[in-house]
Amino acid sequence: MNKIMYLEFERCIGCRACQAACRECGDHDAKERNYVEYVDFTESRQTYPMLCMQCKDPACARVCPANAIQITDEGVVLSAMEEKCIGCRNCTFGCPFGIPKFDFEENKMYKCDMCYDRSKHDIAPMCASVCPSEAIRFIDFDEMQQLRRRRSQMNLVEGKKPQEGNKWEYVPEFFGVYTD
Amino acid sequence: MKSLERSFYSKSSKYSFIVVLLLFFSIWIGTENFLHFDMALMGYLISSLIFAIGLTIRMSSWLLRPATRQVIQRSLQNLRQRKYKRRNMKAILKTAFENIFLQKFIFKRGIYRGVQHFLIAWGCIGSFAITFGLTFGWMHFELVDPETYTIVVMGVETISMAAHGFFAEMVYNGLNITASMVLIGVCMALTRRIVNEDVKVTQRAEFDLFPLFLLLAVTVTGLLLTVSYVLLDGWMHHYMTLVHQVTVVVLLIYFPFGKLFHLPIRPLTTAVPMNYQEEWKVDTRPCLRCGTVYSSDPQVSDVKEILSVQQFDLQLEDGSYLSDYCPACRRRIRVMKQLNNQPHLQQGHNPILTRNGSEMSGFGGRRTDDYYNFPEHVQKELKQYKEEGGNE
Repeated sequence: MNKIMYLEFERCIGCRACQAACRECGDHDAKERNYVEYVDFTESRQTYPMLCMQCKDPACARVCPANAIQITDEGVVLSAMEEKCIGCRNCTFGCPFGIPKFDFEENKMYKCDMCYDRSKHDIAPMCASVCPSEAIRFIDFDEMQQLRRRRSQMNLVEGKKPQEGNKWEYVPEFFGVYTD
Repeated sequence: MKSLERSFYSKSSKYSFIVVLLLFFSIWIGTENFLHFDMALMGYLISSLIFAIGLTIRMSSWLLRPATRQVIQRSLQNLRQRKYKRRNMKAILKTAFENIFLQKFIFKRGIYRGVQHFLIAWGCIGSFAITFGLTFGWMHFELVDPETYTIVVMGVETISMAAHGFFAEMVYNGLNITASMVLIGVCMALTRRIVNEDVKVTQRAEFDLFPLFLLLAVTVTGLLLTVSYVLLDGWMHHYMTLVHQVTVVVLLIYFPFGKLFHLPIRPLTTAVPMNYQEEWKVDTRPCLRCGTVYSSDPQVSDVKEILSVQQFDLQLEDGSYLSDYCPACRRRIRVMKQLNNQPHLQQGHNPILTRNGSEMSGFGGRRTDDYYNFPEHVQKELKQYKEEGGNE
């Protein structure tokens, strides 16, 4: 298994199908764990989808006083374990991407786990499988590299020239690399 | 103190030694110089000591984590401060009663789950209290006269009771009662884990089911002992005690390392309303960029400290930290960077300028002409055209 999640923010049409699909995923209790938001509503109608980046060394797990956030062998960062989570919300404030959500009623944190139950069997996560504009995709690592290369070429064609240090700013987001 | 510490391999080994030493002294005092020592409980005693060592090692390695340490330090600091005394006491008592005694938050996840967890939790805690009290010799029964028993705790006589009174029967059957609670709870939990599709998806056999089976084995063998001597005239009683002992030993050794470890770390919950919330569920700290309140000052400073201890560099160009922004703004900052747009970090910003050469593709606005790098003669013509009042 060598698949990754690939986000292209510009392709987002704001339909929120990914959120609806997320609510349907097993064990999510009809609460979505991803986000669709406007970049700046006063300026444009551009929306973007946002999911957990599945960091290799996740800040959320590092700031958890209860040691409740587990990482699977494939590198998927799971929601806080229900029995350990003390509901302090440190993860929400530690995460650089603002991903973990908090359920005050049930006193526990929940976050995107890349639909671990699906993706571990090589099935696309719910959000990726329903996205109509391919803003969220679950694709092969090689395909991702090709897409990114094409994107940087397009940027060059459009006149955006990446400098030495900021190449990453010119290519779309990808995360959750599965290793063989 | 330093020399004491140096005589051990590690902090956890030092604490384990101290814990075992204290337990030994408590046995000495409790059994009145080993006079009332119950040799039949020897196996339980040894496994309880192993349990204590395992628990100490796990607890100390957990407390040494930067995040846990920060929260504990903050709690201690808070407790010392006089002006927060009222708030602290209120928070501790309220959380201890609602979250730990009543386990309200689990009832909110469903009444079935609440009842099941309540039964298992209090059944286990009760069983542990009775078992440890007896195995470490902290308490035993003494016959005062043929009709009266007394409970001796740590060498001090406490409650006297009629040998066949209602209270006495409750005490003798204490373990049976707690075991029945656990048995009902475990059966409910197992049913849920077999029936509920949502749980099936995420559960792990070794992590979620094994402790349940272990508890089931302990309670069933324990209750069979009672069945054996009450109904079957002690048939197979001796063998059953051995089987029961084996299950308890496995449980005690597993306890500190598996899922059941959440029991000793749960009291940390009290730290949350005490340190981070002046009022329950009310945020006070405004986001640097959009001004919505999203957290409290002590929590954000704690998060920053924990991250910096672990070499997470989340400081931005203008000196602010990512944790100074609300989660929504943090996501936006991320996406703007990705779309090749400098996010306005501090408060009071104007709308983002997108018609300035580095436009996000997909945005509606037209690009300025100098973006297209027209040849000079075309630029001249365009300029002339505009000056004459031509539409773009």
